[in-house]
This record gives sequence, structure tokens and C-alpha cells, in this order.
Amino acid sequence: MGEHVEFMGKDIYFWNFIVLMFFTLFEVGAVFFEVIPGTDIEITKMSVWLILIVVGIIKGYGIAAFFMHLRDDPRIYTRTALFPVLFVLLMLWGIGLSNPAGVTDLPSWCTPNWDYAETR
Amino acid sequence: MSGSGAHVENGIWMRAVMMGGIILTIGVLLFATLGVAIANGKHDTWKQLEDDYHHEEELLAAKGNLTDADVKHLDHMHHEEIDAHLSYLTYRVAGITILLMSITYASFIGIGGFLNASKPEGDHGDGHDDHDEHEHHGSSSPIIFSFGILLFLMGLPDFIVACKALLNSEVSADLGMLGLSSIGLVTIMIAVSNWWFEDLPFNGHGEQIATSWPFEGEHIRKAGLWVFIMSEIMVFATFFSSYLRMRTEWCTDWAIRDGVEACKDVPEGTVVTASDLLRYDVSTLMPGAINTFALIISSYTIVLALKTAKDAHWEPSTGFMGKLMPTRKAAVRNYLIATLALGSLFIVLKLVEWSHLVAEGFDVGTVQGSIFYIATGAHGLHVFIGLLVMLYLVFKADTVGYDEDNAQGIEYFGLYWHFVDLAWVVIFPAFYLY
Repeated sequence: MGEHVEFMGKDIYFWNFIVLMFFTLFEVGAVFFEVIPGTDIEITKMSVWLILIVVGIIKGYGIAAFFMHLRDDPRIYTRTALFPVLFVLLMLWGIGLSNPAGVTDLPSWCTPNWDYAETR
Repeated sequence: MSGSGAHVENGIWMRAVMMGGIILTIGVLLFATLGVAIANGKHDTWKQLEDDYHHEEELLAAKGNLTDADVKHLDHMHHEEIDAHLSYLTYRVAGITILLMSITYASFIGIGGFLNASKPEGDHGDGHDDHDEHEHHGSSSPIIFSFGILLFLMGLPDFIVACKALLNSEVSADLGMLGLSSIGLVTIMIAVSNWWFEDLPFNGHGEQIATSWPFEGEHIRKAGLWVFIMSEIMVFATFFSSYLRMRTEWCTDWAIRDGVEACKDVPEGTVVTASDLLRYDVSTLMPGAINTFALIISSYTIVLALKTAKDAHWEPSTGFMGKLMPTRKAAVRNYLIATLALGSLFIVLKLVEWSHLVAEGFDVGTVQGSIFYIATGAHGLHVFIGLLVMLYLVFKADTVGYDEDNAQGIEYFGLYWHFVDLAWVVIFPAFYLY
């Protein structure tokens, strides 16, 4: 288990906890501030999106890999955990197709000679 | 429960009844302090400010020709009145939630403990003698538990109507379905208490091992829990994808200000999401943010409980922590109590936040409200069910104790608890920040 790996006298769980706390503060701050503190640089909606997704992935990995021991456990548990992701992706794909903007905004290489959005 | 176990006197279950009593006492005291004493004071302040505001409003209306200063003054008074209302709601809702939670905790652990303490000595619940250390045997408790849930859910809609009927004489309830639901609750309680009874003496020997692909060689309970978590991921993915489906088309103020083409003719304030009401102010964002930290800290405390239980060479630390956790058994129990307290804080703050949102007009009557309350409510329900299970873990840690042999109970529950944390990692940014 992860408690055998130590850094600066503390185990991996402690550092994972610190990382999770830091990134939570970071994501709350990113949303709360409209400009980067001390500057006039605006935090746009797109950059907030990006921050939330990246921080979510980091935090999710930290919890699953270290707290839930997926990093050290046999791979079958990781595969079990990831199995529903296939269905989640299918659902998100379905959303993309059912959302008008998801169809009309598709890049041209994705819709060759296809005017589905206009003709349906 | 699988495997064999040490001999445990049935009388030990009276400690569960005592634990229920302690929890109820703490709950009543907190309710009296927060929900009655402080909340009443806050209520008086709110009423006073509300009267002042209406009085000022009437005076200015009679005066006519309002100046900018008058409007600003009136606006300031109105905000003060709203803040006082929300402050009152915070204490009242927190107090009532703590009382209801402590009653549920006390009933759950108290009744379960009483049922087990009443069993004749020597009855081990599964009709099995513990002569063979390695013989495996199953338990009927899970299937009885599932049957109880089936009965309870069949009568649930009328159960809710009956609860309303208790408070309002104009509402009539279908007593037949109420009875069915109640039988379901009793069945659940009996199954759970029997489950506990079978698990308490379990010392870690004889854990059932899977013998076929794909989990060959793994503990069956752990594999089962991961399959359960897999199904839970699907449940939350459903909420999340339906939210995304709608959210991407809503012309929120954020989308309008950001110049989204499809929203250029939509006036601001047309679509209000929970995050619109929460993310721009420290005081409104605070409950959700504290809850996020509470869940992360609780994930860490349960890891510490597991790590301590598995550490055969554990030594108490010096200073305050050494006094708080003088033995390994006490340390495991206290880490679990800390997890229980943090999870309970999560539920209290969740309902406080809901009360604020409802007071501001954000209720289930809109699509935005409906998906928000269903997703965050389903997550809160998972937290609450986890807390009920944790009550038993605290009880076992306090009586039989956990060590390197039987710590699987904490480990497997910890997987569920971390999953609940993981779900919040997705829900919090999606529903509160985005």
C-alpha cells in the first residue's frame, strides 16, 4: 500500500490530501475572481471551463489512484471502475447529437457533404 | 458475513444503545442551542429589521419624489433584512437538521443494538458453529435487507403523504401503503441488525475468495463493492449528462455577458442557475466550499483509520494527539468519529444552503432547480447512508476493535466513501461553479 512510499517524512496519503486541498482552493478561487488578483487580466469563461476540467481530472485521479488504491491494486479493479466510462462517453455522444448546437457547430471535416442540421 | 469469528458476548450490544443515547443527547443540546436559543434571537433581529424596512418604505412612499440617496438607503435596509433572514434560516435549519439526524442515528444504532442484545447468548445469527477457521458460509441478511427496501419503496409515496397528514389534518393518507412501507422499514432494521450481529465477531479469517475469472484470487466482498461502485458511476453519470444536455443550451447571464451568439436577444436574468446565486459571493459559496473541504478531510481521516488499524507496530504520538489517541483501538475509533462528524457537517450545510436557495426563490419548480436538487440530493442521500453504516464501524471500533486482520470492513467502506467524495469532485464544479 501507499503508506510505504514516503516523501519528506510523510506518506503518499498525506501529500495526496494536501494536493486535493490546494486544487480545491484553486478552483474556487478561479471562479470567484473575475480578474487574476493583482493584474487586469480577465479570467474568461473558457479559461474557467479549462481550469475546472483539468482540476477535476487531477482531483479525481488523486482520489481514485491513491485513496481508493487503484494504483497498487490488481488492474481488474481499474478496468471495473473504467468500464462505465464507455457508457458515459456514449451518453455524452448522444447529447452531442441531440443538441442542435452540437450538430451545427461540428467542424467541416466531421460532416462532409452533410446538411443534416438544415434539412431535418 | 463470511468466515469465522471470536466469541462476543451479546451484552456488548447494550453499548450500542448507550451510544444511541449519547448521540441523541448531543443532538438535543445542539438543537436547543443553535435551533432554538440562537435562532430565536436571530428571528427577533430579522423581524425588527423587516418592520424597520417596511416602516421606512411607507414613510418614503408618503414623501414622494425619492432621491438617489433615499433609494440607496432603502436598498441597504432591504439587503440587511435579507441577510438577517438568511442568518436566521442558517441557525434554525442547522438545529432542526442536527436534531433529525441525531434521532435517526440514535434509532438506527439504538434499535439495532437492542435487538442484538435481546438475542439469547450463543446465537451467532448464521446458525453456524465457529469450529472450522476456514469454512465459508453466506448470510441471509443482504437478501432480507433488499426485500425490506422493496417493501419500503413500494409504499414510499404514501409514506410521505402520511408524514404530511401527521402535520396537516386536511391531508388524508393511504394507511395500507403506509403499513407496507413501515413493514419494509422494520424488515430493513432487522436485516441490518442481524448483519451487524454476524459481522461483529469477524476477525478477518476465512474471507471468501473468488475462484473464477475475472476476479480470481480476489476477495469477493471487494469485487462486489467495485461492481456496486460501477453501477453508482452510471447513476451519477445520468444526472450529470442530463444536466450538461440542458446547461449547454441555457442562456445564463454568464453566457449572455460572454457574447454567446444564440443568446444575444435574451435579457439577463431569464435563466437563473444555482451557481448564479452561489458563486459570486463568499457567504453564499461558503457552505458548498466548506462541504468540499469536509469531504476531502473525511476521505483522509478514513484513510488514517485504515492505516492505523493495519499498523501492527503503531505507537502513540507525543503531546495532544497522544492524549487524544492513547491506543491503536482508540485512534481508529476517533478517526472514524471524525469522519462521521465531517460527513454530518456536510449534510447540515447542504440543507442550510438549500434553505437559502429556496428563500431566494430557487426551488424545484424550474428545470434548473429540479436537476440541481435531484443531483445534489441524490449525492446527499449517499452521504447520509454512508453515515448510517459508519455508526456501526464506530461501534465495532469501540468494542471489538479493528486490527491488521479484520480491517477489511474499514477498507471496503472507505472505497464507498471515497466514491462519494469523487462524485462531489464532479458535482461541485458543475453545479456550483460553472
